[in-house]
Amino acid sequence: MEKSNRIMFYDQISRNKRNSIFLIIAIFIILILLGFVIGYALGPDYFTIVMILAIIISLAYIWTGYYYSDKIALASVKAKPADRTHHRSLYNAVESMSLASGLPMPKVYIMEDPQINAFATGRDPKNAVICVTTGALEKLNKDELEGIIAHEMSHIANFDIRFMTIVVVLVGMISIISEIFLRSLWFSGGRGDSRDGRAQIVFILIGVALAILAPIVTMLVQLAISRKREYTADATAVKFTRRPTGLINALKKIQHDHPMKNHKISKSVAPLFLSDPFKKKVQNVFSTHPQIEKRIAVLEKM
Amino acid sequence: MVIWAWLIPLIIVVLIALIFIYYYNRFVVQGNRIDNALSQIDVQLKRRVDLIPNLIETVKGYAKHEKEIMSDVTNARKALLAAKDLKSKVKADNQLESALKSIFALAENYPQLRANENFKQLQEELSATEDKIAYSRQYYNDTILDFNNSIKVFPGKVFAGLYKVKARPFVEIAPEERKLVKVKF
Repeated sequence: MEKSNRIMFYDQISRNKRNSIFLIIAIFIILILLGFVIGYALGPDYFTIVMILAIIISLAYIWTGYYYSDKIALASVKAKPADRTHHRSLYNAVESMSLASGLPMPKVYIMEDPQINAFATGRDPKNAVICVTTGALEKLNKDELEGIIAHEMSHIANFDIRFMTIVVVLVGMISIISEIFLRSLWFSGGRGDSRDGRAQIVFILIGVALAILAPIVTMLVQLAISRKREYTADATAVKFTRRPTGLINALKKIQHDHPMKNHKISKSVAPLFLSDPFKKKVQNVFSTHPQIEKRIAVLEKM
Repeated sequence: MVIWAWLIPLIIVVLIALIFIYYYNRFVVQGNRIDNALSQIDVQLKRRVDLIPNLIETVKGYAKHEKEIMSDVTNARKALLAAKDLKSKVKADNQLESALKSIFALAENYPQLRANENFKQLQEELSATEDKIAYSRQYYNDTILDFNNSIKVFPGKVFAGLYKVKARPFVEIAPEERKLVKVKF
């Protein structure tokens, strides 16, 4: 039992690391291809310079995405660092779970929202962040808080955070940018100036490329985010707390909770959370989270 | 042909050397993990020890006559400070734990003490430290389990014999810790 548990654990870690590398390479290729299309459209005079720029920009994009993904994710939900004296119980819960898991103490953040939720981000256990909503702090007791922190700690231990955050930030940004681009193309489409006809063609080409790309990218994100990850994290959380009751009760409270008040939260950050912030009732192939009822049922069997 | 005659034994030798290195490093890494887990327990025990003089001072202000319980706590603290190995530390810590429980039970008779902000904070902090001690012990046992598994399972067993690595004992969690402490009045 113990042995197979650990194998499962290491499997998950190496799979996450491998997937992260694949994803980074895929994004690099996509960006270079985009540069190629632009360069080709602009003509041979510009081709070399556009390609050089494309390489520089994509490297910078990936570098930023990799090293600052946690900060981008935190900023997008407007999370703030938790104060040790004000949120002593939160710090105690995180510190307890860091001791139980043998992982370094992550940074602790808080986001304003009445819904009970939490997420973890960062690129590895040494550079990890756990963020909890104010709703979770108000509505959960000590055991329940420890339960959800243990769940987030498992995402850190399994390197889920690296892969998930790269998916959310790098891929999420592509789809956000393409959405903005397509919208601007729609609005500026009417008035065409014959002088910059070539630029127009370039933009249309980019637009077409992105229009094809964006849904593929979204599909990729959905496929990458396996719901199995959540079950694994639940199981590991129980290994850390040694009793499933805290997490079960927390999930039961989440079940009767409201959807997130903060509608500004981008859909792309949703997969990071403990439970689906938008609380969709119907589960399909593209759901990022398993249904809470099923998670509770699995935990109750432990 | 000549190259192959050389290469095959060479590859075999390198592979064997790699296996030896792998097991050696594995035992070292797992052993270090245990030592690190042990130092984490010490950190938490130290925290508890440091919190106690403060607690005694606060309680003294409201419950001067409860000398017996107070000296119990102080003695248990001293025993914990003097303890050298983990076993005696755990034993002293269990004593301290039950002495602390009597102090908190005693506070029920002193509403003013219970209402004291400092006391409340110390109580919260001490119970959080208790949790942390339990969790760090749990992790310590986890690391020992991993270590013992890897030296008892074949082929690790063979290498453990070669490197003279021995299984390590778990920390027992004292039965009295699971029971509620009876408080005398």
